[in-house]
Amino acid sequence: MTSSGVGLKFIATPLHTGSTGSRALGVLTLLAVGALLLFALVLSPPEISQGDAVRLFYVHVPSAIVSLYVAFGITLLGSVIYLRKQSVFWDLMAGAAAEVGVVFLGFTLLSGMLWGKPTWGTYWQWDPRQTSTAVSFVLYLGYLAVRKLDMDPTARSRRAAFLGIVSFFNLFIVRFSVQWWRGLHQGTTLNPLDMQMANIMLFTFFLGLLTMTLIFFWLLLHRFRVAWLEHQLAEISLEAAIAERRDEDDPGSSPALAAKGIS
Amino acid sequence: MTDSPTRPPVRQALDLSPAVPAAGARRPKRKKRLRNWLTIGVFTLALVAILFQALTSARVYFYNVDEAVRDREAIGSTTFRIQGTVVTEPQTDAQGVISFIIAFNDVETRVRHIGDEPTDLFELGMPVVAEGRWDGAEFESSQLLIKHSETYVEDNGDRPAVGDGTYEVEPE
Repeated sequence: MTSSGVGLKFIATPLHTGSTGSRALGVLTLLAVGALLLFALVLSPPEISQGDAVRLFYVHVPSAIVSLYVAFGITLLGSVIYLRKQSVFWDLMAGAAAEVGVVFLGFTLLSGMLWGKPTWGTYWQWDPRQTSTAVSFVLYLGYLAVRKLDMDPTARSRRAAFLGIVSFFNLFIVRFSVQWWRGLHQGTTLNPLDMQMANIMLFTFFLGLLTMTLIFFWLLLHRFRVAWLEHQLAEISLEAAIAERRDEDDPGSSPALAAKGIS
Repeated sequence: MTDSPTRPPVRQALDLSPAVPAAGARRPKRKKRLRNWLTIGVFTLALVAILFQALTSARVYFYNVDEAVRDREAIGSTTFRIQGTVVTEPQTDAQGVISFIIAFNDVETRVRHIGDEPTDLFELGMPVVAEGRWDGAEFESSQLLIKHSETYVEDNGDRPAVGDGTYEVEPE
């Protein structure tokens, strides 16, 4: 198994999860959150029939897009690369993206329920879009559970990678559910050829998308670095255990232990 | 990026088998396997439960008004959902029953809603999904859900608040 990432090793840091880059990203994210709050809650107008409930659109839809396409897209990419190259970097990246993606998808489901009550009149219906999204949520929770199974790490990573690839196909069902089946959920608003939203409302949506994307990458960076450090620690512990074991046979002969200050 | 941890020099083939095989060593392995299967089982069950709920619910998800009127006899007194656009101003009587007419594909039916009050979006021109059953020629609804469209229109305060701006409806 190789630890190499394809030219992206700079993302992993040696001793902590923060760096100049991540702090700059954090500041940018905070600024974006402030701007989003200003536009979503103050500057954008109410919608003609939904009134102020429309303001949930600016976080609900962006969090759905970021989780379903960005986060789980990275999980798919990481899983494919892991299966091809056995790269620990991409295995950990796939897991970290899925973890943050599940948080975003949970927020999507929750904000959708909160939006559904004042508009539809119910928190939950077994609507095709809601159901397929819930299926995705459970699939990726299952993916994370597989990553925690108590078994050989290589076999576990391979199984998780298969599940990471298979789970992505449900996203097509989520995407087209409003066209394939009848349901309560509205159709596509953000069709590039026929936008169903304009002016400041559309701008606020894109600001929401940018903000959610920044939050996602900030979280992903830190989660990945924690995972990478855990992996490094596990490798060092294994090396130490091997050296210790060798030392049982030949006491005092382990330069690795001595180098690490382990006695 | 950290440097790779220094590997101990390989002097001979490594034997990592336990020095003293633990007594009953098979038991923890079985326990591990059981725990893994339990985890997989829980998530499989959750998926099956969601799909079961969705599929049994989807059987009655909704008929459009024209389909429901056409299949009225076949549907009988079964509970189902009907979808249509509100084409008359809803009237509420002293008992709190809301009456209005919905239409789809030029077919209309009268709805009597006896249940929780619908949301503020409920008005002339809005598409609704009502759950209930046929009561003669009328539809008796127990749950009234509003199906807002994908079009979002700014409320500038100077437009008539009819529907969501996408349904052209002439008031009676």
